[in-house]
Parts: sequence; structure tokens; C-alpha cells
Amino acid sequence: MKHQKIQTDLNKRGLHYISRNSLFKLLEALKTDYEVFVPVKKNERRFYKKYIQPSDDIVIGEVRPFEPLKLFFSRAREIVAKDFAPDIPHAQDRPLAIVGVKACDLKGMKVQDHVFLDHDYRDPFYAKNREQNLIISSDCTIAIETCFCLSLGLKPYAEEGFDINLSEVDDGFIAEIGSQKGEMLAKKYSHLFQNAAEHHQEKRELIRKGVVKEVENSIKKNEVPSQDLFKGIIERNFESDIWADEAKTCVECGACNVICPTCHCFLLYDQKDEKKMERLRIWDSCMIKDFARVAGGANPRGKLWMRLRNRFEKKFDFFPKTADIYACTGCGRCIPACPAKIDIRKVLKRLVNNE
Amino acid sequence: MNKPNNPYSPIETEVLDVITETSNIKTLRLKPREQITFASGQFIELTVPGAGEAPFTPSSNPLVKDIMEVTIMKVGKVTEKIHSLKKGDVVGLRGPLGKGYPIDTFKGREILVVGGGCGLAPLRSLMYELFNRSGDFKKVFYRGGCKTSKDFLYRKEIERWSKRKDLNLRLTVDKKDEDDTDWKENVGVVTTIMDGIDMDFKRGIAVCCGPPIAMKYATMKFLDMGFRDENIYLSMEKNMSCGIGKCGHCRIGTYYACKDGPVFTYDKIKNFHEIWD
Repeated sequence: MKHQKIQTDLNKRGLHYISRNSLFKLLEALKTDYEVFVPVKKNERRFYKKYIQPSDDIVIGEVRPFEPLKLFFSRAREIVAKDFAPDIPHAQDRPLAIVGVKACDLKGMKVQDHVFLDHDYRDPFYAKNREQNLIISSDCTIAIETCFCLSLGLKPYAEEGFDINLSEVDDGFIAEIGSQKGEMLAKKYSHLFQNAAEHHQEKRELIRKGVVKEVENSIKKNEVPSQDLFKGIIERNFESDIWADEAKTCVECGACNVICPTCHCFLLYDQKDEKKMERLRIWDSCMIKDFARVAGGANPRGKLWMRLRNRFEKKFDFFPKTADIYACTGCGRCIPACPAKIDIRKVLKRLVNNE
Repeated sequence: MNKPNNPYSPIETEVLDVITETSNIKTLRLKPREQITFASGQFIELTVPGAGEAPFTPSSNPLVKDIMEVTIMKVGKVTEKIHSLKKGDVVGLRGPLGKGYPIDTFKGREILVVGGGCGLAPLRSLMYELFNRSGDFKKVFYRGGCKTSKDFLYRKEIERWSKRKDLNLRLTVDKKDEDDTDWKENVGVVTTIMDGIDMDFKRGIAVCCGPPIAMKYATMKFLDMGFRDENIYLSMEKNMSCGIGKCGHCRIGTYYACKDGPVFTYDKIKNFHEIWD
């Protein structure tokens, strides 16, 4: 009786079990409607690759891939207008199914969604890709030294923003349904799913606790403050020397912007051909000198340290005030990306402590 | 916004005429394929094929629906190309973008309009709008300034305005050209002609558009005169690119100039840093 009750509870919460083999069958089936991407591992680095067939380098668990999820939705460089036509170029794109997305990147999409979908004007390019997409997220089963998601109030496993979430247990996964789209998929391919057993659930809790502990240890070691202490850190430190001190080594490369899952700024660039009109949208970087400069020459952020301050202001002042969200996910990508060794964890610590 | 399905795509537009205003300012008369209806203070993005896009505020009467005039100073790459345009050339327009002056709320009030340099261009559109609804306002004051009389935009037209009974007008130049014998007006920066205005400052509306330095000092003067923060309208034209609050270039504090402005009341922005830069 007791066992039966637990089973019903698990099903009610949308918890199923899918074996690794069945998951590959599901991905194969998804290929008819979607362009399917999975994380693969090469030389200790994980990155998204188009799914072709089952292979050993596919890693569903582990930790976030090298590249942020945003690149699937607002591409680094794409044509957004051509010859005054009202339609949208590249309208033939197939919907995307992205597998193995981590919780930190789902938070990144929350920020991107706010900018491109909820913000007075919808961006038709982003909206189209995003609305058609299928997100099959997965729990982190390990953490790396730069992980600090817990500081931003996130867990190393997804709690929202997915269609289906996978938690690696034994030779398969607990599959949690997170949306109607996910529900429909689980129904359509019900022969691939089983009921999640109690021991699967227990295993999931055990793994999750273990990874949380790992992230906690990294946070402790690097003395990363919690977001509960972020309120007012920019205003309090606006005139502080921290900015100039931290910006000393910056080489203005913009890597922190490109690699960041929440950075969304872009440049509209017209092709230099007078006979046709073609407009590109290219990722931009607020660290570059001309970012806010106007044609007349005025530049509100002419000095590099002002632009570093601006980057933090945008993430830790603008977004919480306008969208009730800190535009940082604790993914830690900007830390190894920075050739100048500017460490966001250290900057946050200095800001919180008014050092 | 005229093209809701693709906000980045401009409307094909014919250049009807190019009028030379000063040595470095020209006015384009433009006829877009699809009508663009704008409110004074709203802006458009003008595309020159092969050169790019830049933001401008129309200088024409919003009541004239099929033709738009844009007055442009040559300062950068796009504007240099714009200055080489001829009648019959094809350009692109996106807009109207942002928020303009809430003229309905000016009803029954006294209004002081202060402009400097190329800032007189957007203000011409506002003045037309105020003239369109002349009976609605208690009194309108216009204070315009430029570097020298040769730089004065719409000088002949503004001199005609001085005959209007519904307008109190004064002009100034920072410096009088030695060879300019017919400049009879004031010499000095624009704040020097803002004294002696007889109006109820506490209820009055103040509007300013001009280079950042002029806006800064005019705002200080407005505050001195007794205008309320929320009645001071400033045109904050930053590096507006996408025009729809997404590309990030024109942020001022918690706003984007392109979608929350470009016209802001002073109370909204006074606590932000970098506003005059």
C-alpha cells in the first residue's frame, strides 16, 4: 500500500524513468521534427553538437557546456533585414531541441527572455526560435572549481524553465516533466518511459546533495558572497577605487560578454554595399570604448574602469531594478575566459565588503 | 512602429529634397512608402544604404503625415553620407520610436522652450505642434541660441515667428561674427536670455533640447527659476541603435533612452550618473 502511494505521488509530480538506450531512441525520434543538440565531451571540455547517433562522448550529466545557451537563440551574427522587405530572413529554420541544458543556463534564458520577449517589443527572430524550442535539461552530476550557482539562489539542477529534466541515476535517468510540451512528448513516446521507482528517487537526492556540497565547497574556498548581500552594492561603491583597481589588467577583449549567458547587447551593422541594403545583428561588448559613444564624440563611459563598472551595474543594479533578477547565473564562464584574470567572484566579494 | 513583424527592417523612403541650412547642417524632405505618424519628440532611425543607420528626431510638423523633414548636422560617418544625398535617392526609415512630449498634459499651462544649436531641429517640430493647438496654452516662451548667427537654424522662419502674438521669442548667439552687421539680438550663452520671463514657474512647463552642456546649464537655470523637476522636459539623445530597448547602447540608469525616452522629465533621471556626458 505504502509503495503504491509513493508511486502515485511520483507520477503526479511528472517523474518517469528512461534508460540511456531509450533516451537515444527518443532523440532519434525527435530528429524528424527538431534539430537536436547534445553536449559532448572532448579534452575535458563539454560543448553542444548536433545529435547524429548514440556515441560515448555524449555527456548528459556532468556540468555546463563551454558555450552559453543564448547562442542558439540570438546568434553571434545574423541577417535581420534585407532590401526593405518586411519579412524575416532565414524563416525556414527548423525548431531546436536542446538536450543536457543546465540550471544556470536556464536562468540565463530567463534574462534573455525578459529582454527579447517581455520588454515592450518582441524580437521576432528570438521569439520564433524560443517558442518552437524543446528544452531537455539535466542535473549537474559534478561541479567545477568556478561554479557558484548557489550564491545566485540557484541549484545545480533545474527547478523551472524546462520541458523535461533528466537526472542521471544508475544506467538511465529520472525524467521530470516541466511543461505541457514535455507532457505531450512523454505521452507520445510513452513506450520509452517507465515509472520512476523509489530507489531512483533516492539516488537522485543523493547525487543532488553531493553536487550541492561540491558547489558549497567552491563558494567557501573562494569566499563568494550570497546574493542576499547584493542589494545596493553598486550604488554604495559607485565612486569606489575597486573599479579602477579591477580594470587595471583589462584588455577590452569582450570575452566576458560573449561567454556570458545573460549578456544580450548587440550592434546593428549594415553591409557596405550601396546597391543593396543588408543589416546584420552582431553580439556587442559594453567593455569596448565606443559602445556608448555618440557620433558627436560624447562618451558617457570614456574610461575603461567606467565600462567595467557599467558591466556590473547592468547585472547587479539595472536588472534587479527593472526585471527583479540578478543577471548573473554563477556559471563561472567569465572567470577562465578573462585573459586579465578579472574574477567576478572576487569583485563581488570586494563590493559586498566595501573594500 | 510601422513594421511590427520585423522591427529591424526600415521602410523604403524617397529623398524629395535636400535643403542646405548652414555650413554643416542640411534638412532632408523625405517621403516614406508607408506613412509614418509621429509625435513631437519621438525619433526615427534613418538608413543610408551602404553607410548604416543613425537616430534623428524629425523637425517637421506632425500634422503633415506623408512627408517628414529631418535636420541633420554632419558629425560622423552616416551623417557625412547623408550630406551627399540628392533628390531622388533612396534611404530607409524605422519608427516612430520612443516617447515624445506629452502635449495633452501641457494644456492650460505656460511653456518655456529653450534650445541650442542643432537642438533647434526637434524643437521646431514641437513649436509647430504648439502652434497647431495655439489656444490650448496660456503662454509660450521661446529662447533659442547658437554659436554664431551663421549657425542659426531656420533663422528666417524663426524671425517670422517673432511676429506671432501667441509667442514670446528671444534669440542669442554665443559670439557675434565680425562681418555680421544685421544681428540685432542678444550675444551670450542661452541662459543669458532666460532672465525676466514672467510666468508661474511652479506650474509652468520647461523644455530643453541642445548639446549636453547647454542642457546641463539650462536645467540648472530652470531649477533656479523655480520649475519643478517633473515639469522639466529634456531630450536625452544617447547612442540609440535598435530603438526598441534591446541592444543596450543607450542605457541611462534604469532606462533606455530609445524606448523610455528620448524625452525624460528631470525627476526621472536626476539621480543617475553620466546623464550630461
